[in-house]
Amino acid sequence: MNVTRELYWNIQGEWLIYPLFLLSLAIFGYGVYKRYSLWRLGQPANRNDRMWARLKSVFDYILTHRKILRERQPGVMHLLIFWGMVFLFLGTVVVGLKADMGIDIMYGGFYLYFESLALNLFGLGALVGLGIALYRRYLRKTDGLDNQFDDGVILILLTVIIITGFVLQGIRIVATHDQWAAWSPLGNLIGQLFAGMSPAGLSITHRILWWFHLALAFGFIAYLPYSKLFHIALSPVNIYFRSLAPKGSLSYINMEDEDAETFGVAKLEEFTWKDLMDADACIRCGRCQNNCPAYLSGKPLSPKQLIQDLKKHMTEKGEIILAERQTVIQKGLQHGGSHGEAAAGSEAADAGLVGQVYQEDTLWACTTCRSCMEQCPVFIEHVPKLVDMRRNQVLMESNFPSEAQIAFRNMENNGNPWGIGWQTRGDWAQELGVKTFEEEPDAEYLYWPGCSGAFDARNKKVTAALVKLMQAAGLKFAILGNDEKCCGDSARRLGNEYLYYSLAQENIETMKGYGVKKIITQCPHCLNTLKNDYPQLGGDFEVIHHTELLANLLQEGKLRPTRPLQATVTYHDSCYLGRYNDIFAQPREVLQTAGAKLVEMERHHEKSFCCGAGGGRMWLEEKTGQRINEMRTEQAIACAADVVGTACPFCLTMLSDGIKVKEVDLKALDLAEILAQSI
Amino acid sequence: MNIVVLVKQVFDTEAKIVIGADGKIDDSNVTLIMNPYDENAMEEALLLKEKFGGEVIAVSVGAAKAQETLRTALAMGADRAVLVSDSAIQPASDDFAAAQALAKAVSELKPDIILTGRVAIDYGSKIAGRVAEILGIPHVNTITKLEVEGDNAVATREIDGGSEVIEVPLPAVFSAQKSLNNPRYPTVAGIMKAKKKELKTLTLADLGLDATVTGKMQIVGYSLPAGRKGGRVIPGEPAQAAAELARLLRAEAKII
Repeated sequence: MNVTRELYWNIQGEWLIYPLFLLSLAIFGYGVYKRYSLWRLGQPANRNDRMWARLKSVFDYILTHRKILRERQPGVMHLLIFWGMVFLFLGTVVVGLKADMGIDIMYGGFYLYFESLALNLFGLGALVGLGIALYRRYLRKTDGLDNQFDDGVILILLTVIIITGFVLQGIRIVATHDQWAAWSPLGNLIGQLFAGMSPAGLSITHRILWWFHLALAFGFIAYLPYSKLFHIALSPVNIYFRSLAPKGSLSYINMEDEDAETFGVAKLEEFTWKDLMDADACIRCGRCQNNCPAYLSGKPLSPKQLIQDLKKHMTEKGEIILAERQTVIQKGLQHGGSHGEAAAGSEAADAGLVGQVYQEDTLWACTTCRSCMEQCPVFIEHVPKLVDMRRNQVLMESNFPSEAQIAFRNMENNGNPWGIGWQTRGDWAQELGVKTFEEEPDAEYLYWPGCSGAFDARNKKVTAALVKLMQAAGLKFAILGNDEKCCGDSARRLGNEYLYYSLAQENIETMKGYGVKKIITQCPHCLNTLKNDYPQLGGDFEVIHHTELLANLLQEGKLRPTRPLQATVTYHDSCYLGRYNDIFAQPREVLQTAGAKLVEMERHHEKSFCCGAGGGRMWLEEKTGQRINEMRTEQAIACAADVVGTACPFCLTMLSDGIKVKEVDLKALDLAEILAQSI
Repeated sequence: MNIVVLVKQVFDTEAKIVIGADGKIDDSNVTLIMNPYDENAMEEALLLKEKFGGEVIAVSVGAAKAQETLRTALAMGADRAVLVSDSAIQPASDDFAAAQALAKAVSELKPDIILTGRVAIDYGSKIAGRVAEILGIPHVNTITKLEVEGDNAVATREIDGGSEVIEVPLPAVFSAQKSLNNPRYPTVAGIMKAKKKELKTLTLADLGLDATVTGKMQIVGYSLPAGRKGGRVIPGEPAQAAAELARLLRAEAKII
């Protein structure tokens, strides 16, 4: 017996499918080409290396929905719609194979299990997903979802396509007395609604609906690049072209290039093509914004708006530039190829970003905590865009918050942001008996306390605790003493690449001079800069953070806690340790081995909330909105711990300040201090 | 409008002062910066240039490494720079000689306005008055505002408990107070351009001066201030401790 169904049952003139399909493809192609032309306005960026790793990452993130599922409800919603649509699409492909290529697999078990049952179930799943989406948008009015016309059109379009599909199946089942009806439970159920209709009525309803369903499906294809449906095509592409560089590094600028005319990004066309593609890849899900400390504390920055504003600007200004180029080419052809007019651009084409698309304050509000990028399911790169614009403001326009100038000057003159005399940097070491590399050139490790560890009174206590632990473990380490300079993290993230470059150059030269190979840093910002930024300038060292070191020493038994802590500790993940360098487990291991009872704040690990001091914000005033450090302190208070453990001097300072303001019985201590108590 | 800005290279405020084996201050390990008040003078000159056009020339007297400070002035936006450098003068401390050399160098540039900082933070020298005196032109010091109209300038200067508005004919010398403006941070483009701008180095002989401009002052020796002693805590009951404190203030410190 032939287990299948009739193709094009009740349909005449099905040849019309082909011209209609071609038409929808043409509209689709034109739309893609328009956006592609806009991306091409951008600067080159090499994202074509490591093809296999890129392909793997596309399949990994899309098939598993790993990132999308981090938010439970919208994650499940998307998973249902995604797999539903994939199965329904595959079902159509199976029909296409048989109808157009003569490859018939649409029979027997495959027809029953896949083409009938699976498609019914996945179609139902997609409808459930669409229901959740409609509920989230229009009934619950979820925060961060700004409803636009397009959002509604798409949800209704998809819903109607799927429902008409089921109705078509139902009518066919009823009209043909399909003996396999049970394999299409939903179609069969809907078909029963039409059971009383006359054969002629069924036929005409079916025909009308069939063409309607087809028109909607082709309309879907045609509409895709003009709407947020574009993400279906663009998300995999954007994931494919994502940055595979270390998360903590920024794009390299050759500061020795005497011919460089401009630095950073001032105008749309100075972004890379990938930056511009990012703008189109954004689907406005709002996860970035919901996790942005600047946005949540009321600063004039939303990562989502940042990308949406770029998209709007790209569409408006990009069209003008493209039109002007077209005119120039045409004129050039008419006048025998003279290029004289090419230079003349309209005012709109000259428009810049800062002041016109973005407020100045927006640039400086970012703490570079990277939560936006971490949450973004399609790997949009928000932070590098902001830093690129900062670079232009600092290096070309000399336009930045005045507090930053003081920090820059201090770093220039004394190699630390506080401007304390550089000749006193190594003073702390004398009391603790720590030698410099000059005195002990055979030391295995360079210990890098950083500016905070060397100059800041509170953080010098962390230095002392860490030194005590390293000495107890019998580690052979030395310091650079007065030769150490600020690593340049704040300078670089504030956009002062020139200052960063000079600091980094000197540090690299000093370390190479002493033959340094392994470095222990106390500050995650130093860690990130030495580990991820310095290789761009030829500084290749093995860099570890003190929490990694302490976890190792505990594991190897070189440190043995003898007095277990009797305290409940919550650990605050530093952005540059956690999100940037994936060090989440080691600090927690240290705390647990020390005998602490570990409790987590509401936001932790990848979703940890910044203390407010990253991206050079340590040195800037916080004039608008709530204070980020106080918000984080409140989150720590909420989990009823005795101690909030930190692993970053900036976090320690910010949380200590927050605790002072809140006047609560909570202590902020670095992990080294906590461990030192138990040894 | 031609504007000359007198800038001085000084020790960074945080510099650790060390007296070398030769009994002189050892500046080999010291960060050298532009005198902060001179930065305000530079900024004012650049603002005037932006308004009226003309040329801004930075002039300094000092050792060869003072060129770095002049490069900073060029990076901020000065058009060219002149350094008077001569082993016969001790520019850091010998104001008389420095003023003579500066006045001569400046007079050849025929400026409408001369700006400098109100004081140099190293030796506390106030060169503006001396230069004005030698050139025989007016001088307004510690200005917080400067407005130029035609051949006249109206300057607001800080005085005890208030301010004074003074109108002077140009050319004149003005010395800048901190609150005059916010000095700009050089752009990288500015730093790159500064490398190619003219920086002339002149000796006393080039200026037509001889050794008679020097030698008015001789440094006999340097010594560092005594190190700060730590505080002292007087133990005991409050009344007892207070009595002991009073006794010590009278007997040891001899201040009451």
